[in-house]
Amino acid sequence: MKKLDKKDLRKGWMSWAMYHLSSMSFEKLEAHGFAHSMIPILNKLYKDNPEEYKKALKRHSVFYNTEPQSGSLVNGIVASLEEEKANGKEIDDEMFHSVKTGIMGPIAGIGDSTIQGIIIPILLTIGMGISSNGNPLGVFVYIIGYLAIILSLSYFLYFRGYHLGVNAVDGLIGANSERLRNAFSVLGTLVIGGLAASFVHLTTPLKIPNGDESIELQKTLDGFFPGLLSLLAVLFCWYLISKKKYSGTKVLLILVAFSIIGVLLNIF
Amino acid sequence: MDFVLLIQAILIGIFCYLGSVSSPWLMGVSGGYYVVGRPLVAGLIVGLILGDITTGIILGVAVQAAFIATISTGGTQNSEITYAAYGGIALGILTKAEPGVTVTLSVGIGALGLILHNVMMVTNSAWNKRADRAAENGDARGIILNNAFYPQIVNFLLRVVPVALAIYFGQGFVTKALDVIPGDVTHIMNVLGGLLPALGIALLMNLLIKDKFQLIFFLAGFVIIAFIVQNMIALTVIASLIAYVIYLGAGSSTHTETEDEVI
Repeated sequence: MKKLDKKDLRKGWMSWAMYHLSSMSFEKLEAHGFAHSMIPILNKLYKDNPEEYKKALKRHSVFYNTEPQSGSLVNGIVASLEEEKANGKEIDDEMFHSVKTGIMGPIAGIGDSTIQGIIIPILLTIGMGISSNGNPLGVFVYIIGYLAIILSLSYFLYFRGYHLGVNAVDGLIGANSERLRNAFSVLGTLVIGGLAASFVHLTTPLKIPNGDESIELQKTLDGFFPGLLSLLAVLFCWYLISKKKYSGTKVLLILVAFSIIGVLLNIF
Repeated sequence: MDFVLLIQAILIGIFCYLGSVSSPWLMGVSGGYYVVGRPLVAGLIVGLILGDITTGIILGVAVQAAFIATISTGGTQNSEITYAAYGGIALGILTKAEPGVTVTLSVGIGALGLILHNVMMVTNSAWNKRADRAAENGDARGIILNNAFYPQIVNFLLRVVPVALAIYFGQGFVTKALDVIPGDVTHIMNVLGGLLPALGIALLMNLLIKDKFQLIFFLAGFVIIAFIVQNMIALTVIASLIAYVIYLGAGSSTHTETEDEVI
């Protein structure tokens, strides 16, 4: 009976946590990072079976891509599958591939939107608030806050994946996860609405002549909808990206042109 | 030759490398790209190296605001945030530029940096082929070398050399350029700095909003901050409450949404 102990699993997690993207290329992305993370596991399981060892390295060197920090769950699941296989259970390469490709999408979806869409912007906003006058404290709040959250999450998920094994897959692509993902996307959408209001700034110096005096358009706008121009700017970018399928770079160039024309016409 | 500046420029280049997306040494992206690579943190580090922490952090906050919602999914990005942060903030401090000007410098450097980043992605294919061959031979050491070490030599050179050169030689050039630039151009840079977060936010919206009715949540978040309370923590709590209510309301009934594969 071959059994992975805590030390092997810790090494497996550590290799993944460090080297997930270190050889990233357009066509392979995290493929070899995944293989690298399996080495401590395979060293233990196939110590005296070089043929299986070779096959295992090969099957984990195929295209792979997910959000790496929450994706440690997958490495944990695969480690437990390899353990079962080393103990004689019939598991073919196809099974490994379908587990990996089946959950890398959902994990990337939840991971990217919660980590890059919620956790990082919120922590940054807190840190920037404290540091806006040059105080380093806010920077440390961000560094410590992020590392504490993300490293414990990644470590926990790796071991959770190992203990649940392939059962974790049902939980991730079942009906309940659909509900959970919807709830997370609502949370994320609300938060980025707030980010838009905090960080996008577009105002106009236009004055509307009104008899002897003139009305400042910006003040009028602020009176009934603060930040209206900023909101319109965001919705415009979103329209270009989601409906017109413009690339980020193209929208960036449009914003540059927009600023130049706006300033030259004295609209902004 | 100014040796102090040269050493400072090289140090800043090294941190730009440590904060890059594929650098493994600070726990992968966790301590690298998402911590050392953020402009907020870069502001502190560059400030320490150049001996002006306060200005560094103030510029870091300004550049961070423009890149607040920068996302990279599946290896695609629209600007290379780490080059942008280290190159832009360093030149901003050295040339005593205003925050708005520093943001524009950063965006320009980030766009050039993206090209270098893509060069690395292409050269990594060669290391990938060697790692593949190592896997076929059952050579674990070969996988480790070709995944963790050799690609990093390229990454290191592509970061440290251009960033150090840009800082060392850019100072005089940027200072002169800022002197002759008319006020209108500075104003354009400030307007652009206020607009740039809109791009990152739009990309995030594209990731999260699958159905146009969900736009109402975005508007609600905007209105809460713009009208009611200027505090992201308060918004996060309210947003969690709403999300939880929706989670409960959805019950365990199975909504079969077929367009769910877009992630």
